[in-house]
Amino acid sequence: MPETTPAPVLDGTRPTRALRLGVAGPVGVGKSSLIATVCRALADELRIGVITNDIYTDEDARFLRSAGVLDPERIRAVETGACPHTAIRDDVTANLLAAEDLERDFAPLDLVVIESGGDNLTATFSPALVDAQIFVLDVAGGGDVARKGGPGIGRADLLVVNKTDLAPYVGVDVDRMVADASAAREGRAVVALSRTDEASVAALRAWLLGVLERFRGGVHVAQDPGPMAPHFHADEEGGGVLHSHAEGDADHGHTHTHDDAHEHAHEHTPAH
Amino acid sequence: MTFLAPHPSTVALLLADARLPGGGHAHSASLEPALRGGMPPADVPAWMVGRATTVSLVEAGTAVVAARLLADAGPWAPEDRDAPPAGGPDGGVDLGADLGADPGVDAVVRAWAARTPSPALRDASRLLGRGYLRVARTLWPRSAAVRVLVRHDAASRRPAGLTTGTTSGTTTGTTTGTGTLPRAVVLGAICAAAGMPPADVVRLTVYDDAQTAASALLKLEPLDPLAPARWVLDACAAAEEHVLRVAACATPEDIPSSGAPLTEGWAEAHALTTQRLFRA
Repeated sequence: MPETTPAPVLDGTRPTRALRLGVAGPVGVGKSSLIATVCRALADELRIGVITNDIYTDEDARFLRSAGVLDPERIRAVETGACPHTAIRDDVTANLLAAEDLERDFAPLDLVVIESGGDNLTATFSPALVDAQIFVLDVAGGGDVARKGGPGIGRADLLVVNKTDLAPYVGVDVDRMVADASAAREGRAVVALSRTDEASVAALRAWLLGVLERFRGGVHVAQDPGPMAPHFHADEEGGGVLHSHAEGDADHGHTHTHDDAHEHAHEHTPAH
Repeated sequence: MTFLAPHPSTVALLLADARLPGGGHAHSASLEPALRGGMPPADVPAWMVGRATTVSLVEAGTAVVAARLLADAGPWAPEDRDAPPAGGPDGGVDLGADLGADPGVDAVVRAWAARTPSPALRDASRLLGRGYLRVARTLWPRSAAVRVLVRHDAASRRPAGLTTGTTSGTTTGTTTGTGTLPRAVVLGAICAAAGMPPADVVRLTVYDDAQTAASALLKLEPLDPLAPARWVLDACAAAEEHVLRVAACATPEDIPSSGAPLTEGWAEAHALTTQRLFRA
């Protein structure tokens, strides 16, 4: 069951560890490039560490090291046993230990970015691992992907539509794609990003600093996008309700427990 | 409210279940290094029997001795349902300033390390030990055996002006004691907490190693997924004649010293590659 886990400290004192930010999304959408952009935009004011979860270990880590935006020692690769999805959700142990090590070895850090190995649209981070997460799509993946939705697209803290500079070449209407995404996300943040478009980089930077400020103030609460797509519950009268298990269920005017007497017709998106 | 403890066999099932989130899914029990090192896939069944009757018994003996040692750590801490949650770095355990590295635990760790010559395998085992310690302190926060290890671990991490070395993200250098605990020692603490019979500790260790390799094999080679399940049973059967001997281990000196030099060499080579699916 998706659940909401409080930030490390919510009693008014400041959290003592770095903000942990997850970056997820399908293969090739530019997750590593986005992290390089974040480092470039914030390296002067934040102390940053990065953990990559490549399927074949350290390709992404090497890319980031070669980008020269961060001390190479602050970028570490974690093996995932060919299951990048498991490593960010079902068993976060390896990533959690790597984050602890980075924070200890380079204390104090402000921000630890954890890059998921490229996975499918259902892969999201557990709030046991990250405080906030970015889900990344790119225009080259097709203008309809945002409309198709999924837990990351719908409920990650931020959705990035990446590589907007490529839109004219792949026949995608960026404004339309962002509008679709915003509709799917019920108003949650969306940034249309191109690393060559300074205004878009500034928007990303501002979002991240805003999250960091709330985290440091002890008022940020990690949200779980959930592993499941919205699904349908039939009721005894033959009607039903479409909802998700993410926070905000009350918006659907439907109180739900798994103990109730309803026939459940779940259409779950498989976790693997 | 009466505290109901699960049967030790149930705890064994939990520990043997790959769905338990302890970090094991990123490890191949030395299989990926072996295949990348040139071992023909057709040799995997024989290789699994080899592990079950050599290196797995080192791990099993270490766990048995640790469990015996830690069973003497005292009774469970009084029930304290108001205790801090066990999820924090110290598992809600009071790390009293003078309580630290346990000499008995250190002796077991040294015996294990002497029988595990490959630094890469020791690193991998210590990484798994950290994952297992998270499991232990979260699920058995009031066990005296687990508390001894949590304090031991905290003491080994406490900086005392000495350097802390790291290799590929794993803490290896430490300031006191023998450092980050290997998985077999943490397993011993869990088995002590659960009251698991020593013979079951041995069987669990052998099974877990074989099943880890079998599961990894499906990611590395094309084959019928049921084939390696047969080999797991064969490997466990081959270890059976050693079970009682290893279960009788009582001191660090008793731990078997049956090694596998080729596996150690492959592990060292694997640690230097950049194209790994598995940590080790």
